[in-house]
Amino acid sequence: MAHLISFSRSRCTTVEESSDGRMTCTCRVTDNLLDARVQIQATLPDLEIMSIESRTDHCLIGGMAEAQERLQNLLGVRIGPGLLKIIKGLMGDDPACAELAYMAEECCHGAILSLTKEALKEAPLEPSDSRDYFSGMVQKSVRLYNRCAAFAEGSSLLESIEINESK
Amino acid sequence: MLTYMRNKMVSIEIPTEDTYVAHGFLDDHIYSLNTTFQVNGADMTIQWIEGHLTRYTTPDCPRAEEPLQGAVGLCLTDEGFSQNIHKIVGRKACRHFANLILECSDAVVKTKRNIEGSENNAHADVDASPSSQSCITPQNIRPQKAKRPQRIKKESRIPFEQLEDAPDGFTLDLHVHTSPASPCASSAVDDIIEEAKHVGLDGICLTDHNHQWDPDVVAALRERHQFLVLRGNEITTVQGDMLVFGLNENIEGIISLNDLAEKVATVDGFMIAAHPFRGFLAVSGDKLGLDVDRAAARPMFNLVDGIETLNSKVTVSENNFCSQVAETLKMPVTGGSDAHLAEEVGVYATRFSKTIHDEDELITALMAGDAVPVIFRNHQKG
Repeated sequence: MAHLISFSRSRCTTVEESSDGRMTCTCRVTDNLLDARVQIQATLPDLEIMSIESRTDHCLIGGMAEAQERLQNLLGVRIGPGLLKIIKGLMGDDPACAELAYMAEECCHGAILSLTKEALKEAPLEPSDSRDYFSGMVQKSVRLYNRCAAFAEGSSLLESIEINESK
Repeated sequence: MLTYMRNKMVSIEIPTEDTYVAHGFLDDHIYSLNTTFQVNGADMTIQWIEGHLTRYTTPDCPRAEEPLQGAVGLCLTDEGFSQNIHKIVGRKACRHFANLILECSDAVVKTKRNIEGSENNAHADVDASPSSQSCITPQNIRPQKAKRPQRIKKESRIPFEQLEDAPDGFTLDLHVHTSPASPCASSAVDDIIEEAKHVGLDGICLTDHNHQWDPDVVAALRERHQFLVLRGNEITTVQGDMLVFGLNENIEGIISLNDLAEKVATVDGFMIAAHPFRGFLAVSGDKLGLDVDRAAARPMFNLVDGIETLNSKVTVSENNFCSQVAETLKMPVTGGSDAHLAEEVGVYATRFSKTIHDEDELITALMAGDAVPVIFRNHQKG
C-alpha cells in the first residue's frame, strides 16, 4: 500500500487591523475531526478582547456547543502577560473547550506577532547590522535573555554586551 | 488591512504498525520552519526528531535546531508533556518550534485514537493537545464593574506608629518564586533564602503562583535559616497577576479581580498589581500607544491597594511608565525581583523605615505607604 496520510490538518491564523486600531484575529482549522473558526476582536492600546465568536462546520468532538458558549468568558481579557493561563483557566479542559481555547490562543498570538512584525521592520537586513540591532534589543529587554537559543549563552548576539538583570 | 498570517500544515503517516511519523510546516510573515519526528505507538515517546528554520529574524536563530533533540524520549500522553515541550524546546530552542511540535503531537494522539476506533472520544485524556498546559478549573467569571469592596479593619493589628524604627532601613524582596511551588521557577526555597541572606536583604516574601505556604513550614524555614521569610501569594486574575498579603486562602481557579478584592478586604489584607504594564517579548508594553492618563483610568487600579513599580522581569521603560501611573494615582508602590532563580533574588526590593517581623506588620507598613521601591542587588554588589 502506498504511504497514505492517516491524519492531516491545516490551521490558518490571520490578523487584520483597521484604521481605528481594532484588530480582528481569526483562526481557522480543518482536520479529520474538526472544521471550525474562532474570531476575536481587540482594540489598541489596551488590547482587551471586545468580542469573540465561533463557528463549527464539522465536528466529531463532543461538547462543542457548550464550549462555544464558554468562549464568551474570554470577553474583557487583556492580550498580555499570563494570557495562556487565563484562557485555559476560563475555558477549562474539556476536549471541545481545549480546542476552542487553543484557537483563541492562536488568535492572541497572532495579534502579538502582528505587533512584533511592525517592530521588526526596523531591523536591518545586513548581517552585521542585524547582529547589532538584536544585541541592542536583548540588552534593552531582559525578557528576551535566555528565552530561546538565539538569546542564550553562546549566542553571538550576547558576545559584545553585558546583561544586567536589573534591566 | 491584513497585517499578519500564519499557516500550519500537519500530516501524520504510519509507515509501520505502531509507528507514527509527523510532518509539520509553519509559515508566517516572520518565520518559516518545519519539523519531522517519529513516535513509537506502543509507549507514545518521540524516537527521533529533526527540524529546520528556513526564514527567521536573528542571525543566531538557526542555533535552535540542535536543542530540538531535547524532545527525544518525551511521552506525548504524559501529564505535563506540553509544559515540557514549552520548557525544553520553547525556552532552549525556539517557541515557534514548540508550537509546531505540539500541533503535530496533538495530531499523532488523535490519529492513534482514530485508529483504535474511538473517533468520537478522540480527545479524551489527551495532554498532547496543542493548547494543553496546566489547566485551572474555571470559576464563573464575567467582566464586572470595578467597585472597591468595604474593608473590614483588623483590630489586632499593631498601629504603624508603634512599629520599631529601622534607622538604616529594612529591605524586603516582596516578589519571589521557588521550585516546585511555582512550576516556572528553578531554584529551591533553601537556595533562594541563602542567596537572599548572602546579598544582604533583611527578608523575603514567598509569592508563589496560586500557592499557599503552610505557616509551620515557613516558621521552620525562618528558624533553620535565621532569616525573615514571609508568606504571600501571586494570584492570577482575569485582569492580570496580583501580589496578595494576608489572605490565607488557596485560590485554585482563575478569579475575577472583583472577587479577589472582596476576599482581601474581608481579611484586611493588601493587594498589589504585579508588573501591570509588562509587554511582549519584542514589543514593550509602553509602546502600544497607551498614555499615562488612559492607563491610570483602568478599572483595575480602583481595586488594588498598591502597584509594583520595580520588577526585574520588565523593561526599564515599562517600570518607568508604571511609576508615572502610580504617581498619577497617588498609590503605594513596591519593588520586587520576581525571582525565579536564586541569582535573581534582590535585584529589586522594597525598603521600609520600620523593622518588619511578620505579615501583619508588613501590611501595616504597606498601608501606611512606608514603602520605597529600590534597585538593590546590583547596587549592593556594585
